[in-house]
Amino acid sequence: MFFALTDEQQAFAETVRDFVADRFDLDAVRAVVEDPDGDGHPLTLWKGLADQGALAVLVPEEHDGLGLGLLDAQVIARELGRAVAPGPWTTSVLAAEALRLAGSPEQQAAWLPALAAGETVGTVALRGEAGSWDGRGITVDASGERLSGTASPVDYPAVAGLFVVAATDAEGAPGLYLVEAGDAAERSSTTGEGAQGLAIRDQRTYDGTARVGAVELADTPGELLTGGTLSGGRAVDALMARGAVLTAADLVGGAREALTRTIDYDRDRKQFGVPVGSFQAIKHTMADLHVGVTMAEHAVLFAAHALDTDDPGAAIAVAVAKAKAADAAWAATGAMIQFFGGIGFTWEHEAHFFYKRARRRAPLFGSADEHRERLAALTMD
Amino acid sequence: MDLSYTAEEEQFRTELRDWLSANIPPEWAEPGFWRSLDDAESFRLRREWEASKTAAGFSGIQWPTEYGGRGGTPGMKAIYDEEMVRAHAPQTVNTLGLTFLAPTVMAIGTPEQKAEIIGPMLRNEVIWCQGFSEPGAGSDLAAVATRGVRDGDDYVVNGQKIWTTNAMHGDKIFTIVRTEAGSERHKGLSMMLIDMNQPGVEARPLKQMSGASEFGEVFFTDARVPVADCLGEIGQGWRTAMLLLSFERGASGVGQYTEFRRQYDEIVEQARRFGRSDDPVARQKLANCLVELECLRYHAMHILTQVEQGRDLGSESSMTKLQWSETFQDLWEAFDDVLGPEASLERPRPDVDLAPFQAQAMWSRSVTIWGGSSQVQRNIVAERVLGLPR
Repeated sequence: MFFALTDEQQAFAETVRDFVADRFDLDAVRAVVEDPDGDGHPLTLWKGLADQGALAVLVPEEHDGLGLGLLDAQVIARELGRAVAPGPWTTSVLAAEALRLAGSPEQQAAWLPALAAGETVGTVALRGEAGSWDGRGITVDASGERLSGTASPVDYPAVAGLFVVAATDAEGAPGLYLVEAGDAAERSSTTGEGAQGLAIRDQRTYDGTARVGAVELADTPGELLTGGTLSGGRAVDALMARGAVLTAADLVGGAREALTRTIDYDRDRKQFGVPVGSFQAIKHTMADLHVGVTMAEHAVLFAAHALDTDDPGAAIAVAVAKAKAADAAWAATGAMIQFFGGIGFTWEHEAHFFYKRARRRAPLFGSADEHRERLAALTMD
Repeated sequence: MDLSYTAEEEQFRTELRDWLSANIPPEWAEPGFWRSLDDAESFRLRREWEASKTAAGFSGIQWPTEYGGRGGTPGMKAIYDEEMVRAHAPQTVNTLGLTFLAPTVMAIGTPEQKAEIIGPMLRNEVIWCQGFSEPGAGSDLAAVATRGVRDGDDYVVNGQKIWTTNAMHGDKIFTIVRTEAGSERHKGLSMMLIDMNQPGVEARPLKQMSGASEFGEVFFTDARVPVADCLGEIGQGWRTAMLLLSFERGASGVGQYTEFRRQYDEIVEQARRFGRSDDPVARQKLANCLVELECLRYHAMHILTQVEQGRDLGSESSMTKLQWSETFQDLWEAFDDVLGPEASLERPRPDVDLAPFQAQAMWSRSVTIWGGSSQVQRNIVAERVLGLPR
């Protein structure tokens, strides 16, 4: 029995952590947060991550990747969550996963090396407004290889060179399609429209560590991902599951960091002449949060491993991980504001970076409630 | 990550499973079976069955062979815990002795104590109780008032213990006694191994809110204890007690997960029977229990890994206790919530007996108290794991 990260995986985590701490601290995060008109995609961070292999992690070696698994990828996701790092890492890695799982060798060869090197930013557009995070939430229609409809919210559409779009064909069958953004410079700066019927509407999220938009498609050329291991609805489901685990990892990383910072503060902060962390009202909350975040960390590890090994219990594991991580992240980041007291509610303080990131990401790839309903369906019906 | 057991461990699983399937009557798996027996009969049956298990070589899984154990791995112990639940094996009758006293005796007992205590315990010839809690010393164990006064080669013990598991069936009781007159708190205590079959010891059942009597009270009135029956040094009882309690660490939670997961499925079946399994709120409640149960399973694998790597778990056992006990209690609250008015009825329909469910639901109120209450565990996590000031 070895339920833990290997020494290599731990060293990988430390490398990413040290890199981000050294090159992209909270002041750098703040600069991105306070520039909502900027693209939220600092190139120093992106290139550094590419140099670390963080974008190549899941890409097969024959396409210039590292050929590692989700267990390794979640290590990176956790560190980025811990650092509340901006940028399109999660969805770019997921776009590559879509190609790896569902693409033909030609499609893989055309895109994976550039995604692995960070030369192309990828993103995924898998559902539409008010839709669920499964095949039923798709709001884009495919007529042959022409796509129409609006997907939302989509991470970092403005900097993406490649969109993986979930669409439903005339027979109602879901599938994954590649949409090339073309040269972003060619897109009209006023309408955001590209030459291919692709328009991006900035949606402005309160989470300043991300940029989010709606992707509007009007008879836009889209190439069906086909010829890979998975296709159709199974490819969509597989991508959703991987998105859920990587998002859960990001949430858990942020939750752990929020909790650590809160405990460090409450160990020293004095009121009534004593450290506030000596009060049981705070101690017991921190203890419960620590147990909750620790369980969420376990759950993310297990879910990543379950997907890596095609474990028959993977569906339950993914739903458990996402539900637990979302709840733990909301609780820990909310507690960060509460237990820093008034200072935690100020703009100057970093608590809101963690809180807002957790709030925005928690519903992505299925909220805690949606995943609990999935568990109910898997065990009660 | 490698979540498999070794070939040797899987071989052990096969052997154990074969033995259990041949030696557990099918009716033992029926929900009401153990409740249908009176307490003495149930205890006798379990005691005999467990002795036969020991004779077959399936007790003391991790104990050294010199003590009659199997000399197995932590993985085998986890497999044992899991398979016992899967096979509907009855609960052990010597649990506190096996879990706490035996490893302590192996660590610090005299050669005579090792010879006299461990074998008979393993064969269930002697049933051991634990005498820690007192009416005035619950969470605050150092407040014990039971006192022992030296008289020749004996100590004469007076006082009262409470929450004693198997008090009515016990032969001996390992007991914290204040042996130094006027001492306070952690000082002046000794760990006495007291024969319960003597005129100075009286055990009384303690009827619990569930109506059952898993616990009892033990009264000492001039009970005599030979000096040689002190475990560890006289006056060092607190140190012995802490060593003893440390053996709770490393209990991975695999067995608890297996048991609670089955209970989840049984509750779901009742929810379905009473038309409640389609209710969105009920589904959320039950699914959230499943989330916590699965986390307990992953945590158990984590703990087992730590043990196999030879790492000191420190205060992490407090997290294990919080996770399993709070989850178990939540699961049984969900039973009441989901079934609504039917949950409180023993026979909501002529063919449906909910009494075994209600017994679990009531029992679930105790698990967050005994073995260190949830509040004590949170203090431990906050102070010793998170480093918050006392």
